Amino acid sequence: MGARKITIEPVTRIEGHGRVTIHLNDQGEVENTFFHVDEFRGLEKFCEGRPYYEMTQITQRICGICPVSHHLAAAKACDAVARLDPPRPAKLLRELMHMGQVVQSHGMHFFHLAAPDLLLGFDADPVDRNVFGIIRANPALALKAVNLRRYGQQIIERLGGKRIHPNFTVPGGVNAALTQKDRQEIAAERETMVDIAKEAIGIIKGWIDANQAMVSTFATFPTGYMGLVDAEGALQLYDGEIRVKDEEGKFIAQFRPEHYLSHVAEHVEPWSFLKFPFYRKLGWPKGVYRVGSLARMNVIDKIGTPMANEEFKLFRQINDGKPVEGSLYYHYARLIETLYGLERIGQLLDDPDIMSKDIQTHAVETHVPSQGVGVIEAPRGTLFHDYSTDENGLLTRVNLIVATGNNNWAMHLAAGQVAKAYVDGNKLTEGMLNRVEAAIRCYDPCLSCSTHALGRMPLEVSLIAADGTLLDRVAR
Amino acid sequence: MMSRTLIIGYGNVDRADDGVALEVVNALRRRQGREALGEENTGMEELGAEVDSAFLSQLTPDLMEILCGYDRVVFVDAHVCEGFDDLHCEPVTPEYTPSIITHHLTPGMLLALIKALYQREIVGLIVSIRGHDFDFHRGLSRETGAHVQPAVAYILQWLNGGKAAAR
Repeated sequence: MGARKITIEPVTRIEGHGRVTIHLNDQGEVENTFFHVDEFRGLEKFCEGRPYYEMTQITQRICGICPVSHHLAAAKACDAVARLDPPRPAKLLRELMHMGQVVQSHGMHFFHLAAPDLLLGFDADPVDRNVFGIIRANPALALKAVNLRRYGQQIIERLGGKRIHPNFTVPGGVNAALTQKDRQEIAAERETMVDIAKEAIGIIKGWIDANQAMVSTFATFPTGYMGLVDAEGALQLYDGEIRVKDEEGKFIAQFRPEHYLSHVAEHVEPWSFLKFPFYRKLGWPKGVYRVGSLARMNVIDKIGTPMANEEFKLFRQINDGKPVEGSLYYHYARLIETLYGLERIGQLLDDPDIMSKDIQTHAVETHVPSQGVGVIEAPRGTLFHDYSTDENGLLTRVNLIVATGNNNWAMHLAAGQVAKAYVDGNKLTEGMLNRVEAAIRCYDPCLSCSTHALGRMPLEVSLIAADGTLLDRVAR
Repeated sequence: MMSRTLIIGYGNVDRADDGVALEVVNALRRRQGREALGEENTGMEELGAEVDSAFLSQLTPDLMEILCGYDRVVFVDAHVCEGFDDLHCEPVTPEYTPSIITHHLTPGMLLALIKALYQREIVGLIVSIRGHDFDFHRGLSRETGAHVQPAVAYILQWLNGGKAAAR
């Protein structure tokens, strides 16, 4: 029998569409694994010729799940294009909306997407290993998860007028101040949500303790790390400078977002439409870095809220202060950030400026070509929006580097390492392939999910011989 | 007590035929004498009528609590399914579909979650129109656009309790 190929298409429980192809050798062992995704260049071209200020609405349609991240990154890029610095109250309100997004996104990922594997087991019957299994096993926990997501979504809705595609920012600020009623109602539920986040942290820590051997080796590999930090080196999700550390945790660089092209380059592989960003000065592949919750925990010095900072200190002890490399630790880091988001909401609501009506810096017509970069830490990682305009404010160039792109090579490595460790082509089981998918799900990738017509989401696992013969096929 | 229905169209108007549901929803709204939905209005801002309608980018878990206030729901979407008619209409039953626990839900998954979490059974119908063009631009292909009015007629007949034949 010749070399064979297993294709997992698409990867389940992640955004949009992805394929994993696992190539077996003559002995049925894994030879190579590739993670392929679609990409967004079509959207970038689609945006050219449109007024730059429309980007806060257009880019939200990249994804119905993380529209706020694109909305805010676009707003920051538009600020830069218009050369406007929003008043402090506007920045606080944008950050408040962002915290709502982080809380709902992280909460949902953990309870709905990660928990079935973690709480029910990678090898559990797929009929049970899903959100319904969680509901059956712990209905109270499932309802708490729903409430956590609802809480985050309601913050977005209160500020933006709607949950899915908020209309909140304008170049130079936001278009509505916070009302006293909304402030009180957001504050009223916050402590309950903090308790849910702490309960979830207890669950993940208990699971890590019980599965230490597997967690420390599952999709564990060295890379660099990237994330935003504030002036004191603390976690920042809305604004700050971009810090890069190497695989040993050594400081490599810290730079303003508008200088990103001096630091980030993109590698191309023939088997993927999505490029592979890397830190330019270290070259390819040495400069590969990861983004997202794990990366952020690995680049920061501290967290500016007390409870999350205590968890961060514990997190840092996992590898004696060096970067934590295991992909499954993304789940733990995500929950620390959920706690941070909820604490940060409290800090923002207590800030006297949050109720200010000074929410917009008004533009002065310049009519000159311009350029602007907006960077934000989306729940999934560092998100770059870079726009150039002509003298009429029409876009001449759009460059988006999304979090999933930044993690592209890491997901490829994660899938490959787990496939080699767990997949046996001679006795293929569903649990083996689920582990490969779980490795990718650690990164909570959001692929090209801007279309999702009925019928586009079947999962098919095919075993194909070198001569193209279909040897085995699993559809579920 | 008044029976309430929510019509949810979903898709992406920037991806050609993926936005067909907006055309269907707006055609229905015009028949009801209501303002068409646009960039600034998803329809979720004005719920409360006997028959409400909305257009969203995708189905999300937040819809669970909203749908608990309805007796019936009509999902309108584009489809690319082999073996389906160009206009495909069928009842939606609450069901777990193993491959589709993604962030975006299927209609059956959404109804199943509502049933599991809230013990509420909602009558569901999906009306889907074959998409031919999913490129980055606005506007429907001629083939997809031709099925908008038949879809509207089907939904109206279903709303009125008619025995519209499943397609």
